[in-house]
Amino acid sequence: MIVVIAAPPFATVQDLGRSGFRDLGVPVSGVADRDSSVALNSLLGNDVNAAMIEWAVAGGALRFGCSATVAVGGADAVCSVNGNALRAWTPVDVSAGDEVLVERIVRGRFLLIAVRGGIDVPIVLGSRSTLLSAGIGGFDGRRLRNGDRLSIGDSIVGVAGRAGAAPHVLNIGEAIHVMRGPQSALFDDHAWAAFLSAGFTVSRASDRTGYRLEGATMKHDGSASLPSEPTCVGAIQVPDGGEPIVIMQDGPTVGGYPKIAVVRSNYLSRFAQLAPGDAVRFVLDA
Amino acid sequence: MRPTNELPAIVRLGDDALLVTFAQAISWDVGVRVRSAARLVREMRLESVTDVVPAYATLAVYFDSSRDSFESLAASVANVVNAIEGHIDDDSALIEIPVRYNGPDLVEVAERTGLTVEEVIQRHSSRTYRAYMSGFVPGFAYLGDLDQSLILPRRTVPRVRVPAGSVAIAGEQTAVYPLETPGGWHLIGTTSVTMFDAKRDPPVLVRAGDTVRFVKID
Repeated sequence: MIVVIAAPPFATVQDLGRSGFRDLGVPVSGVADRDSSVALNSLLGNDVNAAMIEWAVAGGALRFGCSATVAVGGADAVCSVNGNALRAWTPVDVSAGDEVLVERIVRGRFLLIAVRGGIDVPIVLGSRSTLLSAGIGGFDGRRLRNGDRLSIGDSIVGVAGRAGAAPHVLNIGEAIHVMRGPQSALFDDHAWAAFLSAGFTVSRASDRTGYRLEGATMKHDGSASLPSEPTCVGAIQVPDGGEPIVIMQDGPTVGGYPKIAVVRSNYLSRFAQLAPGDAVRFVLDA
Repeated sequence: MRPTNELPAIVRLGDDALLVTFAQAISWDVGVRVRSAARLVREMRLESVTDVVPAYATLAVYFDSSRDSFESLAASVANVVNAIEGHIDDDSALIEIPVRYNGPDLVEVAERTGLTVEEVIQRHSSRTYRAYMSGFVPGFAYLGDLDQSLILPRRTVPRVRVPAGSVAIAGEQTAVYPLETPGGWHLIGTTSVTMFDAKRDPPVLVRAGDTVRFVKID
């Protein structure tokens, strides 16, 4: 049992997400930084799909009601257990009454707090992931609040390791690799030059449904006539205003804005860790 | 695989999905073909495929790229797509949705269309609609075709919050908002019917291909 003593503004329970329901409008959800989630579960000897806490924005605290093994990763954060520094990517045994304090997130968007066995919440439509818009999955389909009591599960497949390496390093102004999107031809050379040469800044108006990017606009033709079509996580849509929106885990399953490009899957986790105000630029893979 | 200037065309939708474009415009017949293709792709039961999503005129097939390549999946999908002949939505349902015509935009819709409120209600509730597409958010179904006299562009400033159960119109379409979401459609009524319930099987009330009637209640 883990008790949320001081919830941050945004923390939810997520696993690797749901599949099989996108045709009904249900997005995949799941941890935004999949690479870090996979690495933490591997470190803890968990099933790759074990659920964990995706923690954002600010600090807070958890108290363990039983002994457990905990590990953190993803965003760079200052964390401690009973006052002792809690290093990222390093499983630590805790006892009943121990408190994990997240002082602050230094860099990145999502700190992942994982426990050996995973967070046990009911499986909804095949996943433990929270989808806030529909109020399903995770802990009562909502953000964690003070006083919430989370059960620890038994999604264990092996022994816990001692320490691991970060699956990716968070760089400000990072080059994110993309491939052409289905409507890449609607954008002329000027638009493509703007897209690839301009740096963007992640807007404050960004969340798990999508990241808005500021800095350059790309003109296109034909958006009004494009029938809505399936999107994907990492799809870079360009609304008529010209500033792109990148579809994230809880984003709409279909959309009518032209997709100039799509983030390569091996860059999605790094991209997801970009916080409001962070700089980003795109590199087109041939 | 066919060259991209010929339809249907198959392109990448990121590293983990492919997109089949059947047509550049919306029509019921195209939608029937798209859903037939979706069914045939599902019936192949390919282990690498995680989601099959039909839309108005396109079909997305999502897959685990560690288990299959775009090229091999595209070849399988192309075979199926080229084999479609006159399939129909043989599992479609007729759904009646009770509506209180009390939406905050009802009077404005009447004014902008030059109709009376009663005429707007009558024209919206007297038609039988077909669900062209599911998606956007869980349980949302795009229903058409709206009576020509009710066609209005979306609101210039979308609402930040549209209550769940709002019955709305925009363009040639009508829909029920299944959840509280932002939205730019004109709200003409409300229903107490639950459009999405994760505990139900299937979780959505209306699926693409279904037929829907709105029934006026007081």
